[in-house]
Amino acid sequence: MDKDIAVSLTKVTKNYTIHHEKPTLVEHIIVGRYESFFALKDINLKIKKGENVGIIGPNGSGKTTLLKIIAGITSPTQGKVECRGSVVSLIDLEAGFHPELTGEQNIYLNGLLIGLRKKEIAKRIKKIIRFAEIGSFIDTPLYTYSAGMKLRLGFSVAVHADPEILLLDENLSVGDREFREKSFNKIHEFFKSGKTIVMASHYLEIIKKMCSKVYWLEKGRIKAYGEVEDVLRSYQKVSKK
Amino acid sequence: MKSDTRHFFELLFGMTEKELRARYKHTFFGFLWIIVNPLLQMFVIGFIFRLFIKEPIRNYYLYLFPGLLIWNFFSLTLTKATPSIVTERALIKKAKFQRSIIPLSILLSNFVHLFLAFLLLFISVIYMGTLSQYWFLQIILSLTLLFVFTVGMSLLTTSLNVRYRDVNFFVQAALILWFYATPIVYSIAIIPRKLIWLWRINPLTSIVQLLQSAFAEAPLPGKAMLLINSALIILVTCLGIYFFNKESKYFDDWL
Repeated sequence: MDKDIAVSLTKVTKNYTIHHEKPTLVEHIIVGRYESFFALKDINLKIKKGENVGIIGPNGSGKTTLLKIIAGITSPTQGKVECRGSVVSLIDLEAGFHPELTGEQNIYLNGLLIGLRKKEIAKRIKKIIRFAEIGSFIDTPLYTYSAGMKLRLGFSVAVHADPEILLLDENLSVGDREFREKSFNKIHEFFKSGKTIVMASHYLEIIKKMCSKVYWLEKGRIKAYGEVEDVLRSYQKVSKK
Repeated sequence: MKSDTRHFFELLFGMTEKELRARYKHTFFGFLWIIVNPLLQMFVIGFIFRLFIKEPIRNYYLYLFPGLLIWNFFSLTLTKATPSIVTERALIKKAKFQRSIIPLSILLSNFVHLFLAFLLLFISVIYMGTLSQYWFLQIILSLTLLFVFTVGMSLLTTSLNVRYRDVNFFVQAALILWFYATPIVYSIAIIPRKLIWLWRINPLTSIVQLLQSAFAEAPLPGKAMLLINSALIILVTCLGIYFFNKESKYFDDWL
């Protein structure tokens, strides 16, 4: 892999098994094989370091699956995935929090889960708390937090992990309007700071503003790839029909 | 690579700490429950079984107690670990990390409990003077075998349960039988020679016997028993690690 490539997928295919009901041993023995469908088929993609890439496509075209594979949350059925540098995805921000633990304990746990070392968390914890605007709640159990506070804390931990590759899924709305602006600014900072960003979204306006290259997915295959404006133009033509 | 290993242990210990902290929140006795539970079991079972057993076992209460501790550790870990990937699906969907940390942190938190309970047992046994000559070696060997076996078993059942949720029900049922298939409340001496192979394929037999011998002057496990048990433990653990590694890449697809 070239040095300036951050993410590289070669011939990646993802095959999901369809389970109509709860999967059971009996079903497996009787039916033998399961039904399956391709979420991604033969995807080849290279993202350069520092590139901001958008992924567009209708629902069910494989955008989330693609992000999951880049994040290493699931593995492809076939093909090769290579990532250079740490990857953090802003998916499911509150996941991994435990309601009985305090805010601080949860920051450590969450930080460790997304790949930070304990030392790194200790260094950043003040910033994380300040950004999340948790204040004096930091040493109370998480079940005393409001929904917005939990989201803010999750977001704050994720962005302060300072990943080399950041994955964004769909629309990111965190907390109230004020914090939404703040988080938007933070993500904007990421875009400008030369980080590699992959963003899947329906909001073409945001893609247009933030990304330089776009992949257009359709039924698990790459339909088009190129400069933002070219791809978006033909995408809009098709979706208007 | 070295940094990866260190991160693995940091996360493992972090998750274990979470398990320990969360379990005794809002309880009055807290950690005391580790010892109260098996003590209650010991008195009830001890009282009832003494009415049935023809040839009394020496130091019966002391004989029971280590077996119960082992059993509680084993069955609690398996009960909680088997569905753990399914119950912690939010974690799986959030980030990439060694999936084995989820069941292993449950195991480790229970092992901390076992260790503390053993310390208390040990102190009381010193007063009673029933310790065997090689008690130290026996305890270390027994706990090592137990640890390895529980790692193997829980990795196996945890990974299979993601695809086949029946495994969880099967484990529940099997554990009830397994308790009586292990010489915890009785002595292996009452088993007819023809049936002894049944106990040889139950790895918990040697583990329990080693401790009963260390604490309660019971006989040591036979050589064949120890050998076959250990071989099975290694086999199960290899299978567990193999299946877990194979399946864990695709856990997300089934949740």
